[in-house]
Amino acid sequence: MAAREASKCATKIVRPLLSSDKSEAKKRVLNLYKTYYRQIPLMLFDRHLPVTKEECQIKLKEEFLKNKHITDVRVIDMLVIKGQLLLQEIVTKWAQDCHVMSLFKDTVEPKPNDFLSKFVNNNDSQ
Amino acid sequence: MAFNLLKQSANKVIRNAVVPSTTSATRGLFIGAVRLAKEDKGLEKVYTKKESLLLDTNNVIGKTSDTSVQNYIEVENKVDLSSVTGVPEEHVKTRLVKISKATKNVMQSGTDNTHKWVMEFDNRERWENPLMGWTSTGDPLSNMKIEFVERADAINFCEKNGWKWYVEAEQNSRPIRSKSYANNFSWNKRTRTSTK
Repeated sequence: MAAREASKCATKIVRPLLSSDKSEAKKRVLNLYKTYYRQIPLMLFDRHLPVTKEECQIKLKEEFLKNKHITDVRVIDMLVIKGQLLLQEIVTKWAQDCHVMSLFKDTVEPKPNDFLSKFVNNNDSQ
Repeated sequence: MAFNLLKQSANKVIRNAVVPSTTSATRGLFIGAVRLAKEDKGLEKVYTKKESLLLDTNNVIGKTSDTSVQNYIEVENKVDLSSVTGVPEEHVKTRLVKISKATKNVMQSGTDNTHKWVMEFDNRERWENPLMGWTSTGDPLSNMKIEFVERADAINFCEKNGWKWYVEAEQNSRPIRSKSYANNFSWNKRTRTSTK
């Protein structure tokens, strides 16, 4: 019953994580984006990755734009925190090359969709 | 020679990253990393692009994090945490959750555990191990059953995690019929049938 009452009102008052409004959260996101952007050449210099700087920049933009639909300030803050953690891992090399490259390509083969490839990939051995 | 210089700079970067000198941890980590590398002459060739002035995080944001957390903010009631939970996208977008009342154990007559609401995921591919005949599945959510007191709680949980859900219709319990052996011999009910 309480939940039903709560769902009637569209907004609620909560404690923030970091930012007190959307503009502040936006600044945090842009700040994180810039630091990542500046870290790319250094990262490529430190590591032997089969990607160019431009590809990294495109991927960076793609990763940020994945979450562009999010409007909740707390979720944005949490994503910024997670982004900072990943950047720390990249800078300190806690994340190895394979971890960085996992952002570029999925290590799992896509599952077959059409009938014939499903039949060929059938793992039912009997 | 160049290599040594670079290695030194890398060490500096890491040291600065791990032990931030300023109050703001983020500032010490990120800005320190970029700036130190730039100051180092060994990396000047790598890092030729001219940068804009790096600002203090507190200046950019306008407030320190301590003062912001004191306040309360207004957010939308509907929360979608699927982007921060870490659940793979495949298991958020393609899964269907069934919400239903817990079923009674068919081997026993007690009904004590049937009052909760249970949420379960749809079945994914299973296969049989050819050697031992064990059943396997690649689905991480296959045997996950979560119990809730209220139906609304289960629905809220699914919506918060971005899963599609449906509620299985609640089965009405059968009307209680008084059972009595003596009723079989009631004088006004034709419960006794003649064998002749």
